[in-house]
Amino acid sequence: MSSFEQFHIDFYQSNYTIEDQEEGCNSYGSDKNLCESRKRQAEEQPAGGAFVPSDMLLSPQSYSGSILQPACSPDAPSQLGYVDGFDEEPPLLEELGINFEHIWQKTLTVLNPMKPADGSIMNETDLTGPMVFCLALGATLLMAGKVHFGYVYGMSAIGCLAMHALLNLMSVSGVSHGCVASVLGYCLLPMVILSSAAVLFSLQGTPGTVLALFIIGWCSLSASKIFTSALAMEGQQLLIAYPCALLYGLFALLTVF
Amino acid sequence: QDWQVRYQQDTPVAPRFDVNAPDLYIPAMAFLTYILLAGLALGTQNRFSPDSLGLLASSALAWLLLEVLSVLLSLYLVTVSTDLTPIDLVAFAGYKYVGMIVGLVAGLLLGRVGYYVALTWCCLSIFVFMIRTLRLKLLSEAAAEGVLVRGAKNQLRMYLTMAIAAAQPLFMYWLTFHLLR
Repeated sequence: MSSFEQFHIDFYQSNYTIEDQEEGCNSYGSDKNLCESRKRQAEEQPAGGAFVPSDMLLSPQSYSGSILQPACSPDAPSQLGYVDGFDEEPPLLEELGINFEHIWQKTLTVLNPMKPADGSIMNETDLTGPMVFCLALGATLLMAGKVHFGYVYGMSAIGCLAMHALLNLMSVSGVSHGCVASVLGYCLLPMVILSSAAVLFSLQGTPGTVLALFIIGWCSLSASKIFTSALAMEGQQLLIAYPCALLYGLFALLTVF
Repeated sequence: QDWQVRYQQDTPVAPRFDVNAPDLYIPAMAFLTYILLAGLALGTQNRFSPDSLGLLASSALAWLLLEVLSVLLSLYLVTVSTDLTPIDLVAFAGYKYVGMIVGLVAGLLLGRVGYYVALTWCCLSIFVFMIRTLRLKLLSEAAAEGVLVRGAKNQLRMYLTMAIAAAQPLFMYWLTFHLLR
């Protein structure tokens, strides 16, 4: 298949020199039919890049000459408009939507529950931070000897659904699932601290219980602070903090016992 | 203290406007807190696993549904005309979880004696609460004001109210005693 990939690359890079194209052509001079059958196979493959060359190859007017010479036709840039060459592609992180500055700001907001937060930071629903924190929680639980990845994911999914329902009922403006999931996931960070403490010493006992209660309070205060500032529900912070405390209490139960 | 729902309307009214209107926040939170506390009680006795948490949750939910359905059935059989919707019954059934939580906390902190004392007090209080609330809804207005009206229909309704109220302490004991061994 390497020869076929070489053919793909030649096809995309329309600014290659003529020598490379002729080289590619000459090596395929004898395999014209084989390449055609391979291209039909590529049509069924889910790879997005395979569709454009097959379309272009099957439409006769888009190139002059034989099938093995990818000529520069006028409508080739419009069909290949999303790939302008390696220099003009947007950076990978920007394409994926991961913005490290925002992630860091949100993490700092969670870590300092006494500082009032502005409601605009939650306008973009960003799920990479929460994913990282869930994985970190599962990893620290693994280090403590408990393989509970499935329970962590299941409880966070059910908790997101329940909090979404509750917040939609209690607030004047509605929330989306992504916003709720993002906030709840960011406030899971102190729980990671608790479970890493569980690796070092057993949490069953008075100091462990006190630490667990403190961490639950920290998590739920941060979460309710962000929710009340983002949804403009003044005076209801404690009402929102209690269900968050219940949810994080479930996680603490997993961690402690 | 006036226990009557102030807004006598056909449409249900939100708790922001009427203190006596039933809302599902306390029962729902009490139910979840009960599950959490039950998990904690199991954990302190080294009987905890995440599966048992799910088991507790689903069995408590099943008992709740059973109670609400049996109350609905008995209301239907007695042919009493009331404005109690099933959601109201769910809310009333959920209020006993508050008593269960108090009993469990007392049992965890103070041992079996504390558990029994707290549970008895909460059973009595929820008994009184249910009698007062259901009397307004199920019985006729004359009986609601304290006048004893003799008649087969009213007596039947009184028995029904007592039965519903007496079922609450039974459930409270049944769902908590196996957690504090």
